[in-house]
Amino acid sequence: MSRRASILALMTAMALTIAACAGDTGTTTTAGAEGTTTAAPGTTASPDTTAAPSTTAEGSGDPIVVGGTLSLTGAFAATGAIHKLAGDMFVERLNAAGGLLGREVEWNLLDDESDTANIAPLYEQLISQDQVDLIMGPYATPNILAAMPVAERYGYTLPQHTAVLAPLMTYACQFPGWSIGPEPNSFIPNQIADALDSLDGAVSTVALLTNESGSTAFISYGIADDPEDPSTLNILPERGYEIVADIPYPPGYEDWGSTAAQVRDANADLVLINGLGVEANSLIEAMQQLDYRPPLMFALFPAPGPLLGLGDAAQGTLSVSIFEPNEPILEQMDPEVREIVEEFAERAAAEEIPYTVFETQAAASWNAWEILAQGVEGAGSTDGQGICDSLHSTGAELTFSGAVTFDPAVNNFWDTTEGLKQIQGTEWVMVWPEDIAAGTLAGPTG
Amino acid sequence: MIELQAAVSGALNGSLFALMALGLSLAWGFLKVINLAHFAMILTAGYLTFELATSTGLSPIATIVATVPLMFVVGALIQLGYERFGVSELNSLLISYGLLIITVQVVTNIWTADFQRLPTEINPYASESVAVGSLRFPMPTLLAAGFAVILVVTSALVLERTYAGRALQAFGQDREIASAFGIDHRLLGVLLAGAAGASAAIAGMLFPIGGTLTPDLPFEWIGQVFAIVILGGIGNVTGTLYAGLLVGAISGLVAVIWTPSTSPFVVFSLVVLALVFRPKGLFPQKGG
Amino acid sequence: MRQKGWLALVGIAVALVALPAVRHATEFPMFYLIFLSGILFWAAQSTSWNILSGYSGYFSFGQGAFFGVGVYAMAILFGRQGMSWWVAALAAGLASMLLGLAIGTIAFRLRSLRGEIFALLTLAIPFILASLARLSKAIDGGQGIVIPVPEAPSFLSQFQEFVFVVSGLVALFALSVAYVMQRTRYGWALFSIRDDEDVAEGLGVPTFFHKMIAIGITGLIAGISGAVAALQLGFVSVEGTFNLDVPLFVIVMSVLGGRGHWAGPMVGAVYVYTLQNRLASGGFEGWSLIVLGAILVLVMLLAPQGLMAGFRRRPWLSAGIFIVVFLGLWLLGIMSDPVTALALALGVTAIIAFIPGGEKRRMSPPVGAGEPPEHHAPVGDEMADVMAEARRPLLVAEDVVKTFGGVRALRGVSMTVHVGELVGLVGPNGSGKTTLVNLISGAFPPTSGNISLDGTGIVGYRPHRVAHLGIARTYQIPRPFTSLTVRDNVAMAIMFGRDPLGLDASRRAATEYLDLVGLAGRADAFPGEINLHQRQLLEMARAIATRPSLLLLDEALAGLNPVEIDNAVEVVRRIRRSGVSIVLVEHLLRVVNQLATRIVVLDQGLELAEGEPAVVMRDPAVIKAYLGRQADATGD
Repeated sequence: MSRRASILALMTAMALTIAACAGDTGTTTTAGAEGTTTAAPGTTASPDTTAAPSTTAEGSGDPIVVGGTLSLTGAFAATGAIHKLAGDMFVERLNAAGGLLGREVEWNLLDDESDTANIAPLYEQLISQDQVDLIMGPYATPNILAAMPVAERYGYTLPQHTAVLAPLMTYACQFPGWSIGPEPNSFIPNQIADALDSLDGAVSTVALLTNESGSTAFISYGIADDPEDPSTLNILPERGYEIVADIPYPPGYEDWGSTAAQVRDANADLVLINGLGVEANSLIEAMQQLDYRPPLMFALFPAPGPLLGLGDAAQGTLSVSIFEPNEPILEQMDPEVREIVEEFAERAAAEEIPYTVFETQAAASWNAWEILAQGVEGAGSTDGQGICDSLHSTGAELTFSGAVTFDPAVNNFWDTTEGLKQIQGTEWVMVWPEDIAAGTLAGPTG
Repeated sequence: MIELQAAVSGALNGSLFALMALGLSLAWGFLKVINLAHFAMILTAGYLTFELATSTGLSPIATIVATVPLMFVVGALIQLGYERFGVSELNSLLISYGLLIITVQVVTNIWTADFQRLPTEINPYASESVAVGSLRFPMPTLLAAGFAVILVVTSALVLERTYAGRALQAFGQDREIASAFGIDHRLLGVLLAGAAGASAAIAGMLFPIGGTLTPDLPFEWIGQVFAIVILGGIGNVTGTLYAGLLVGAISGLVAVIWTPSTSPFVVFSLVVLALVFRPKGLFPQKGG
Repeated sequence: MRQKGWLALVGIAVALVALPAVRHATEFPMFYLIFLSGILFWAAQSTSWNILSGYSGYFSFGQGAFFGVGVYAMAILFGRQGMSWWVAALAAGLASMLLGLAIGTIAFRLRSLRGEIFALLTLAIPFILASLARLSKAIDGGQGIVIPVPEAPSFLSQFQEFVFVVSGLVALFALSVAYVMQRTRYGWALFSIRDDEDVAEGLGVPTFFHKMIAIGITGLIAGISGAVAALQLGFVSVEGTFNLDVPLFVIVMSVLGGRGHWAGPMVGAVYVYTLQNRLASGGFEGWSLIVLGAILVLVMLLAPQGLMAGFRRRPWLSAGIFIVVFLGLWLLGIMSDPVTALALALGVTAIIAFIPGGEKRRMSPPVGAGEPPEHHAPVGDEMADVMAEARRPLLVAEDVVKTFGGVRALRGVSMTVHVGELVGLVGPNGSGKTTLVNLISGAFPPTSGNISLDGTGIVGYRPHRVAHLGIARTYQIPRPFTSLTVRDNVAMAIMFGRDPLGLDASRRAATEYLDLVGLAGRADAFPGEINLHQRQLLEMARAIATRPSLLLLDEALAGLNPVEIDNAVEVVRRIRRSGVSIVLVEHLLRVVNQLATRIVVLDQGLELAEGEPAVVMRDPAVIKAYLGRQADATGD
């Protein structure tokens, strides 16, 4: 008897589930209470399933729909939330100023669940089913690489925030919002060496740790199948810095204790961890357990908040940035920048985003949106090739990175404004290069 | 010297995985249940530890007052469910896999997928260690090793010295014979599953003391924990501890001698070899 | 049944050709083609998994390894080396198949690596491969590989149509293989392995060979399908490839759809993929794992047979409801989106699957009136021929020793069975009777000594080869294949016996063996539905269906009441009259006295006495060792 009841319950549950999720597809939520412009890819977007794709509804007053995914859940969700908020803010300001081509802009944002395998199908869906007018790239290098072939197949222009693997970004109509130049694998180690040179010989040995995934391994070792490619491993010795330990580790690595012992024994002046997320935190704590504190630390792409949370142990740690809202920098920039930074901090706090500072990630996001908007205005339409051509010929004027130009010969990676930031007190401070610095580079301790 | 420190750090790290493996191994060996929900309990206990410690300012260790009884009940309830539906060994694997992915998603929806770390103020252990000569024993994993030894010794004593323990052993070997001897296997099974849940709570408390919480941690644990269960021998509690220490020490050594990326290759190749040549584990029990 | 299966496969093939063409005519949005490509990918992957894990029961967590080898073969050969894409896809399939065969060579030789241990072994493989891919810069090195857009044949104007057609071809290949296997000995061998591998081997199924075929096919399909997926993805990375997504989804899909049927995984793929798609596009991403997990738990607890089993109870009703709801919702414009209409139609149809009752489905169709096959059941009295051959030794065991660890179960036993004899093998518990039966049937080799049948040494032969030489056995506790009907249990033995027949011929021939033991009336029952006596008769029918020259009956009468015993004795007599020599291991001396032409008494691993029943029964040593302890057994 109870078995039959259970089966009935299962039946009902299944039917309800399917009915529920099927039934909800028709709703489109726009501009919610907290300014969310996320729209479900409602099937209402294409009521006539046999309609031909249309991107030529000029002047019709219909909104221009920008499709894209971000990692709203999963491993990249923390950063995904920053990009979502930055994008929301940009779209609101754009619409408040009259939109694009006189039309309102709507952002159709899907969740890729931090899973690279979801990216291509979702962009296919956005373009072919939802028939969005424009697309915005996802977050994280592998995801952007996955979205790129789709954009290329449909001839859509793809602005993107954060792809580091410049040589692989071969589609002529992808435009980076965060550029470390065409050769990040050469630029970053050289910039580090420049900064170290200024310390008058305080640093001579380096321990190198590398997360063996896309962007970080590229900076450490260059392109995988070319040992001659510029890389941290090649350039630092050329610049007179001896690499005394070279430790690659897999993503998801947990056993930091033994690695910390190895780093301690290498006894380098600089511990350089080309890692992601909280790996630098784990390493610092493991080294603390061994009563070891390296004279100087550098972390390539850390989650910014948790490192600040370590307090004294992380003081002086260096990283890369294209923008930090340090007071001296804000004073030099357009007052709008301060407005954006303050609004972001307020809304990030309200949305319980753990790290509320509008810094390099948010700035990269803002850049990408500006590139898209200026491309559309330059082309006078939402035609992918038109936007692409316009950007190639006139470049873009970016609030956070100034005037930039795009050269397809170097995959559109513009001359970088990237610098080094350092934990000083309770905030990240731009310290290098000196012309954009808000503080002074602090040398090794002890 | 560095090799010694790496082996010690690795072995201590392995003891945390041994603690995670303990409950899984017991349930598998004695209840014939492969309970992937064990990882869900560890994860939930980890987040509860984080939540309780940060909201009350208590030491994370103190939170086991709440999490251990809770996970005891959860573990027992899951076992009651398996009993109620007469779930087979293989089906328990599938069902608990379902429970695990549900938990991962629920935890994500509650605590977000962001990294969660215990603040330094309430978790001083993260950066502490005990020094013996020039060797350092990191506090978070030293705590894990301590709890692991206590739980393993207790389980071994209970299994060998008490009537209930011997009854469980009989039950693990032959259900029908055990039933014929008048053992209430349901009650014993539920109690054992509860105890496994309690051990999950302790592992869940220990993890955030040394590490960073993210909801997809169970998928990173599964490989290493099963490696330890198999190498230790299914249902062999002391073997589980030895296997944890061994796997940890090997990982640590491989990491410093070659690279950390080589460790999973070595550990899982070892698992395959062990399955082929020593399917009962590396540390056979007396008379087994 | 057969027509329906072909119908489905042909339908898919037609859709493959037609859809891209129709799309041009009607401007059918590209998205639906992409959606269908997704379903086709998962149908191929889950069908591939099901051939190994559903058919043979060797549960694998390693689908990601086969998939990943395919992905990386395509990435390296096509993406980096510039080989043509289809050569790379075939090479990917081969590479993945080789991985499968390598795993099989290690795992399938060892009895200890069955069940959960095999599952865990397969769990370790993707970890090793991921680590290897990350370590080797020639494979990946950790940065991922970009795969260029391949040049599609000119008749497919767009890349998505190309992916659709290629995915469809792979899925069609996978489904056809699964379908053909289910209809032939290759599938049935796997079913018997799933139900009881030892029994299957003893009936003459070369289990190792068939398991290798299964894992090879699984690898081949998963590899090709992974290679096509890599083309579609355009970028592959270690983390994106060797994660738990593929193993998780193929398991959920196959379990939901049903693991026993070729179409089950495909049905599961349609359901899960559609559901996931609607969840994601409805803004319920945060629920997708919860829903998947709940499906897995509920289906395992309440309907472990899966949806397909339900649909097969009411095939036309299910199909009708699905089509009516789907077309109704879509064409009448209630649902503008066909995927939503599909999701609703699937949901409604699923309810049908869970309504209990309906036509009870049988594995075996009604046995046709076709020509009786050339597999004459031994119903005639062939005693005359047998007598002519009498006194020719059939089975000769010489000085057989078997030790388990330190225990010596047999300490040097010699025994001869002549053609036409019925030898009673008796002895107290632990005297070594069953051990001797196990050694003769090849279940394990003797520690020393020699055993030969008709002059051929059989020591070291695997049981299926021993069976093919002409030795069959029964088990004390009957071990029928529980998922097969009584008739199909016997048909299985014929299919893999000494004169193998095809599936349909075997089913027809099975009737005659069932007649011989008097079970023809229960031919379409499942073993769970018949009583112990009938299961023991089934054991005998199945054993003689392999057409043995020697039958080992291991306590075939244990636990029966007197009436049943008399019936069983009559069946054994009939079997012997048909020309089969028999070794009868038995406790009941009354039975042995009635049947045996000669008796061998074992005690503590040694032969105690041997001779005619009347003589042996009076041997004081026998009385002391055996009869004295079981005085009640001599009562009648």
